[in-house]
Amino acid sequence: MNGHDIVRDYRASRSLIGLVPQELTTDAFESVWDTVSFSRGLFGKPKNPAHIEKVLKALSLWDKKDNKIMTLSGGMKRRVLIAKALSHEPRILFLDEPTAGVDVELRKEMWQVVRDLRDSGVTIILTTHYIEEAQDMADRIGVINKGELMLVEDKIELMRKLGRKELRLQLQKKLDALPPALAGYNLTLDSDGSELVYSYDTQGERTGITALLAAINETGIRFKDLSTRQSSLEDIFVGLVGHK
Amino acid sequence: MNWHAVWAIYNFEMARTRRTLFQSVVSPVISTSLYFVVFGAAIGSRITEIEGVSYGSFIVPGLIMLTLLTQSVMNASFGIYFPRFVGTIYELLSAPVSYFEIVLGYVGAAATKSIIIGLIILATAGFFVPLEIAHPFWMVAFLLLTALTFSLLGFIIGIWADGFEKLQIVPLLIITPLTFLGGSFYSVSVLPPFWQKVTLLNPVVYLVSGFRWSFFEVADVHVEVSLAMTAVFLALCLAIIWWIFRTGYRLKN
Repeated sequence: MNGHDIVRDYRASRSLIGLVPQELTTDAFESVWDTVSFSRGLFGKPKNPAHIEKVLKALSLWDKKDNKIMTLSGGMKRRVLIAKALSHEPRILFLDEPTAGVDVELRKEMWQVVRDLRDSGVTIILTTHYIEEAQDMADRIGVINKGELMLVEDKIELMRKLGRKELRLQLQKKLDALPPALAGYNLTLDSDGSELVYSYDTQGERTGITALLAAINETGIRFKDLSTRQSSLEDIFVGLVGHK
Repeated sequence: MNWHAVWAIYNFEMARTRRTLFQSVVSPVISTSLYFVVFGAAIGSRITEIEGVSYGSFIVPGLIMLTLLTQSVMNASFGIYFPRFVGTIYELLSAPVSYFEIVLGYVGAAATKSIIIGLIILATAGFFVPLEIAHPFWMVAFLLLTALTFSLLGFIIGIWADGFEKLQIVPLLIITPLTFLGGSFYSVSVLPPFWQKVTLLNPVVYLVSGFRWSFFEVADVHVEVSLAMTAVFLALCLAIIWWIFRTGYRLKN
């Protein structure tokens, strides 16, 4: 960890890490200020009220600093856990499903905090089941399936390598079956016969779109609209995990 | 050495004591006062001196030991059990602290609290009976060693327990009976010879005897034996705690 052996030099490694667990494991009777200050001390840092104040304000907990933790809502408790993890100024922050059970508004606030942290240079390792969150937030993605790390890849690179694109052609008249002349293309007819769906690889030298459109034109099929869709990280994830 | 962590744990535990001042301090004082009323005044007035010491004064070291043992065990066991129960132990296990520092913080706080209560009881006893301490240094030494040893025992119980019931079992079913039967309220010499020998298997006898010696120079066993036995219990508790942290017993699951 940052050049430190995690067993022999556990103090140096652990002091770099902030951990936010998935479960809301908080004290009950202590005040927000006391529990966050306790965490800072536990990680070997001298008192720094200015830093604790900054963290609590960033997490919208400042006006609750004297409240007992048991009086806080679930979302606030979650933020207290984040404040505890940030109290000792870690360089790496583990967030274990931080938005599980958190309402939409609070989730947005939380992501803003995470973005600010990332921008300040903190490495954030986020585990989540919400793939769109990872797509939205992450720079690098790791996929874990049944405890096995399948890959770790730069997000843009991953989507470029494993992502596919779809061209959907909305037909003027429904078709019963795909015309034989179009059988050589990677083309499907959707269930009600109103759309032709063409999947292609954006990384290929040729996408084949020009030839396909020419072939469709020759068959006399007319379409009224077209759209393209890039496969999401979730599609990639399902593809990866599903193949296993 | 992560002194900030030791201080954080110590302070956190002491803050709990301050929050629960009434049940932490006032209730032991009230129950001790009741012992004085019942044993010292009501029953003690009918008992003549024991080995030259008035009965009321004779029971003071035993009463302090009774509270010291139960409070040390209960404070330390609750201190480490509660984070395990609510799950906040994750923070302790992920922090850059050594096992020694964790023990120092929790056991130090538990021992401090029980020593404070012991001293309050001593002061309370001064209102009821005349008190003289023949060997103040050894009185403090026995107080410190006993509080430390039984706080370590409490720490072990707090890690062993998997429910609040188990947390209560040891103080209620083992420590209190052993203290009552360990010569807190009587001299072992008044027992029949057979029971005198049986009593010597009770570790509390050595603690109470040594502590009483520091007050009145009256003891059931030699003070050196008391000291040696206290050191043995201390070493035993330290060895068990070393094993717990080495194996992660009940800590990492």
